Amino acid sequence: MDDLIYTLKQQIIEALNLEDMKPEDIDENAALFGEGLGLDSIDALELIVLMEKNYGIKLKDPNQGKEIFKSVSVMADYISKNRTK
Amino acid sequence: MRHEVYITPNEVKVDGKALNHKENGAALLTELYRAHIGDYPKFFKMDTLCKLGFVASELLLQAEGAPRFEPREDRAVVFFNRNASLQADTAYQATIQDPENFFPSPAAFVYTLPNIVTGEIAIRNKYFGETSFIVLEDFDEKTMMRELQNAFQDPMTKSILGGWLDCTDENHFEAKLSII
Amino acid sequence: MIVKVSDNIISPLGMSTAENYAAVKAGRSELKRHDGLWNLPEFFTASLMDRNKVELAFAELSDNEQYTFFEKMIILSAKKALEQTDIDPTSDKVLFILSTTKGNVFLLDRRETGFPEERVRLGMAAKQMTDFFHNPNIPIVVSNACISGVCAQIQAMRELESGHFDYVVTVGADVQSAFIVSGFQSFKALSVEPCKPFDANRCGLNLGDAAATIIYTRKETIDENDWVACRGAIRNDANHISGPSRTGEGSYRALRAVLGDMNPDKIAFINAHGTATPYNDEMESVAIERAGLSHVPVNGLKGYYGHTMGAAGVLETILSMQAIDDNNILATKGFEAIGVTHLLLLSNQNQPTEKRAFIKLLSGFGGCNAAILMAKGGAA
Repeated sequence: MDDLIYTLKQQIIEALNLEDMKPEDIDENAALFGEGLGLDSIDALELIVLMEKNYGIKLKDPNQGKEIFKSVSVMADYISKNRTK
Repeated sequence: MRHEVYITPNEVKVDGKALNHKENGAALLTELYRAHIGDYPKFFKMDTLCKLGFVASELLLQAEGAPRFEPREDRAVVFFNRNASLQADTAYQATIQDPENFFPSPAAFVYTLPNIVTGEIAIRNKYFGETSFIVLEDFDEKTMMRELQNAFQDPMTKSILGGWLDCTDENHFEAKLSII
Repeated sequence: MIVKVSDNIISPLGMSTAENYAAVKAGRSELKRHDGLWNLPEFFTASLMDRNKVELAFAELSDNEQYTFFEKMIILSAKKALEQTDIDPTSDKVLFILSTTKGNVFLLDRRETGFPEERVRLGMAAKQMTDFFHNPNIPIVVSNACISGVCAQIQAMRELESGHFDYVVTVGADVQSAFIVSGFQSFKALSVEPCKPFDANRCGLNLGDAAATIIYTRKETIDENDWVACRGAIRNDANHISGPSRTGEGSYRALRAVLGDMNPDKIAFINAHGTATPYNDEMESVAIERAGLSHVPVNGLKGYYGHTMGAAGVLETILSMQAIDDNNILATKGFEAIGVTHLLLLSNQNQPTEKRAFIKLLSGFGGCNAAILMAKGGAA
């Protein structure tokens, strides 16, 4: 799971153009949206693409994103249970 | 005094004076961002046209020396170019070109309109006035001046941040902006 | 005063303004589900042109096959508008303005051959049109996201006011493609069903093809049947590049600017953008309320055509003029029960009106918003 969390952080940094950030800078239990990284609606949509592209997970309802993208840990947990890649 | 900024992949001039720089091309824009702005991480999400317009307008507004970030409706942002959002369009097309690797990117798609850069500048500076983008096949001073003068027909508009802002790819671009 | 000389609409609902108005008044739409079109993995609902029909119509004008489908649409529409007048398009006192968001963007697909890459440039596409009419002036292309159609009309007003030109042929057009559809799909902004503007169950927009033309001129004296473009304004939300402002900032300011000190009771209706996304329609209700216009009827036409992007501002203005000529407020197709915070006067039935002015309102990516006030006989 630690490997997945680290890899996921790297992928998020790349997908969302979070320049100047390293995986060490992201707290996996901190909120991704709202405060913290200050991500917006387009970032949320881009994370949905990331899930499909890297892990083969297709979210049926984009509103599911609100729960799944709560934090990197929650995301990693969901991925490990649902990945097809 | 009319303030002007000129940026190409190899050159930066503000009010006629050249600025020192180490980098060229896309890296030049990042260098300018870090050296003169630095407080707007959204910069790294932008496509090249937006980065160019953002950096050029920041240098221009710094040269103007007026108080920053005060909401106003009387300044218009009007840009012209030949290639619209070609660099962003090409980047987005790449995400859908291959049917075996078809992953349309919303972060890329959002930049596939040339006027997005006027929005980025309006957001940064709290400009509620007119924002507009006009595409011309040729860099034609006479036509551009006519269009800029036309913008003053809106009685609210007292000042325009405008000019030529073009980009074909990450390493080919040109900005010639001024405040009128 | 800036006055309409003639107009035309080319859309899936017809090849003339009259055909289109009749279809809309009768409640028709060509919004259909398209499965597997352009090799897109997800189906979508859109109002698309019968391309054969366009080819046949264009063949009457020219046997030159070197025009893209987009170019054929704009040339056809401009031609049909010009035909109703005795304007000489070869004159240097005639200016062409093109409003479009993506023009020939389909040419970026590496599988597309047959046209030089340079035709992706909007100025080149516009030049195909001005060359066709042997017009000597550089065409102005307004590419200001979805508000382009109203921006182009505001540009026309300004060009005429300045006296540089006698006539401005204002063409708004966009055609759909894998590029555009997939992009909106990645935004999860599309509704799989025909869209429901301002409705409590609205869930996104549909896309559409169209080309529409209005020819404007300047007149010193007008008569009571002349359509006058009174005032136009463009304002920015200064909030987010793709999400509408929660306070409807730019939309409200544009409305306020075009209203001026006019009595709102003279306005028959506000033809809203009404894309049927959860956020856009809510934002417009906030803006209309802030502008003190909640008591003015509101309607939306995207239930008939989908979102025609660069064409929308021109198309929807023409239909609104036709409606007032017919003493009618067109029904908002797709609307059933109000689903926005501020109650607006919307109806899914045609409503009678004796009033002679309307406001066309639009919003677009980049936080831009535009409004134009049109009045028959210059009632404003």
